[in-house]
Amino acid sequence: MSDEPAVGLVVTGIGTVGAEGFDFRTALGRHGYKYLPAASQYFLAAAKRALAQAGPDALEPVGPEERGAAVGTNSAAVALHHTMDRTVTATGAGDLSPVTAPYFSINLFGSRLATEHDLKGFNLTFTSPRVAGLEALQNGLRALAAGRARRLLAGATEEALPEGEPGADTSEAGAVALVLEPGPAARSRGATALGRVGVRSFFLPPKVAASAEGAERAAALLRDALDALGHRPDRPLAVTAVLDGSPVGEAVAAALDGKAPGEGALGERALDGRALGGNALGGRVLADRPERVPAGAGALEPVARVAAALAAPDGHPHAVITAAAEGNAAVCLITPGDASAIPEGEQPMGVRQRAGSR
Amino acid sequence: MDDVLVTGLGALSPLGAGVDAFWRGMHKADTAPARVPDPLAHMDRPLMYLVPEADVPDGPEEQDGLPLGRGSRFALAAAREAVADAGLTAPLEPSALPEAYAAGGGLDPRRVAVALSTGMGDTDLHEGWWTGGEPPASGRWAPAFPLASVVGGWFGAQGVNTCVSNACAASGYALSVGADLIRSGEADVVIAGGAEAYSRVALACFNRLGAIDPERCRPFAADRQGTVFGEGAAVLVLESAAHARARGARTVYGRLAGAGWSCDAHHATAPEPSGEQIERAMRGALREAGAGPESGSGSGPGELGFVIPHGTGTELNDVVESRVLGGLTPRTPLYSVKALIGHTGGAAGAFAALAASLVLHHGTLPPNVPVGELDPECAVPLPSGSTPLTGAYGLVNAYAFGGNNVSLVFGEAAA
Repeated sequence: MSDEPAVGLVVTGIGTVGAEGFDFRTALGRHGYKYLPAASQYFLAAAKRALAQAGPDALEPVGPEERGAAVGTNSAAVALHHTMDRTVTATGAGDLSPVTAPYFSINLFGSRLATEHDLKGFNLTFTSPRVAGLEALQNGLRALAAGRARRLLAGATEEALPEGEPGADTSEAGAVALVLEPGPAARSRGATALGRVGVRSFFLPPKVAASAEGAERAAALLRDALDALGHRPDRPLAVTAVLDGSPVGEAVAAALDGKAPGEGALGERALDGRALGGNALGGRVLADRPERVPAGAGALEPVARVAAALAAPDGHPHAVITAAAEGNAAVCLITPGDASAIPEGEQPMGVRQRAGSR
Repeated sequence: MDDVLVTGLGALSPLGAGVDAFWRGMHKADTAPARVPDPLAHMDRPLMYLVPEADVPDGPEEQDGLPLGRGSRFALAAAREAVADAGLTAPLEPSALPEAYAAGGGLDPRRVAVALSTGMGDTDLHEGWWTGGEPPASGRWAPAFPLASVVGGWFGAQGVNTCVSNACAASGYALSVGADLIRSGEADVVIAGGAEAYSRVALACFNRLGAIDPERCRPFAADRQGTVFGEGAAVLVLESAAHARARGARTVYGRLAGAGWSCDAHHATAPEPSGEQIERAMRGALREAGAGPESGSGSGPGELGFVIPHGTGTELNDVVESRVLGGLTPRTPLYSVKALIGHTGGAAGAFAALAASLVLHHGTLPPNVPVGELDPECAVPLPSGSTPLTGAYGLVNAYAFGGNNVSLVFGEAAA
């Protein structure tokens, strides 16, 4: 095992893939990918692009057992399951393709990545509604802090829901992958640190969200998450909120807005940064009005927003906040630059506590 | 480092509802799969170990507007029992502020996490919609894996809430993630485990892969022809020792003392033949626990009393795992949960953890379900009679498609 520290992780590669116009032959190669389901192809292609940006030597300094991967998805397999079920019920299991049959298992959509890049530390799949992609980052980072690996490939992948499936009208299709490594390791090989990320997830029970205290509870949980991520309230913060119109989404939006849920349509509200800075999030100052993005039926959009914030830094810490109707919620704090430049007191709590503990 | 204790257990399984039924069933050691009651299951071997019809929860049909499938209902049933067994008050009152609970010496919902796993989630619900059923008129997106959310919503937990879906290793990972949440200081209590329910697609695909045994699940047997799926849910309440002590937890079943992760990075479905990575996971878990061959002493307090293997009944898996166990801990007896209730997929690691906790708590290793003559290449000790426990630790293995491996070590509750 390498003795380099597993703290101070920075993102050195970003790969994004959209379904529209995607051609696996161009993105991955002509051979060996034809029979992979689309979401698996997307994620492989995104990882390939992320690794290309990070540099061909991004994974080489550590052995296969010190490389980990984590992916989040909600809907990668639904369309495939739908097609398979039609086959089974119409003519029987014998007519299923033996090549795609293993993909009934949702974790296979990320598993080819481990084979291609010799990732033997771990390969995790998360499926929590909407936050799964951010959870992949969160759990991957926690695993690195615990010493289970020293390099991380993490992201999200989705495939469009079949026609008629609830939520199909807001389907997501595509993938995002990030490469993370310790800041000193990136510097030593001349790689550019695009920024660091930290994720805290929490749960806002739908009954609590729908209660009179919903916005207040959402604000408290957001405040706790930002504090735990080491964000100093006096540092201007940009906010992107990926939310739906459910009671949970409304409560989170109202917390950011400083209003009680139900006071006007969310989409029509001009979110006021000063309201956020006043009460909801512990007096935090916003760099601008929070950006509101409609959530889709999947876990992709929040990670795509993280990638966008890393790719086009505006000089401020940036929080991507998301929540699902089921209650799952997460905050990803993106800080520009090299993690090693961040003072000790501003590092995420989990990292501080776990460093060197294994 | 604060110990991670097991302070509550819950189960819904082919042996019936409840942990007591599970423990009785372990001793009775007499089970068999049945044909799934699905007229559309057009496949050669539509066999499973099913939760008895009388024990299948008849609701809820939905929670907070989300329609629930069989997997979510199973998870809820097991979680309810585990939480009650732990002596925790649930559900928490929605309108009460967390600070009020904390100030009153109660459970702070922000410090309660949920880490549940599943391979197929509520896919049965969607399969019903695809074959004539009607999805809810609301048109609301119904994510296929809402199990942890449903349990978190029922309980009122506000901490991390995650669904791990690493196929048949998933609940081993969920338990390990739960322990990490406690050790990193992110949670005091974690409702952790896994649930799996009949899915037509999953069973059909395993049929297509030729991986279903026509008779029963018989790991390590010479005549094995594959696995047989099972369904159900197993949930453990994990708790920091400090928190359990402070609230006076009434029962400590054991400790989750170590975990080891690895990935074969070899093949989509086949295990890596040398077993290098499963051995690494086992050694890592044992080392963290200070148990077995990694304890520095071959016997005494660190002695391994039993192994609950992954052992599915598939050809190569059983051979590779046997070979590694034979080298690592050759005389330690094995107890096969899968021979009893089948391969419960995303819940398999949690059922193994449940069984390990019960064995440590009662100090008895129940008899294995007879699997017939053992494969000479699987030279593992599978006792056919009930035996007293001779070591303070149990090793649990859970492996999956994609080469995902996790090993857990459970230890007796500290005296």
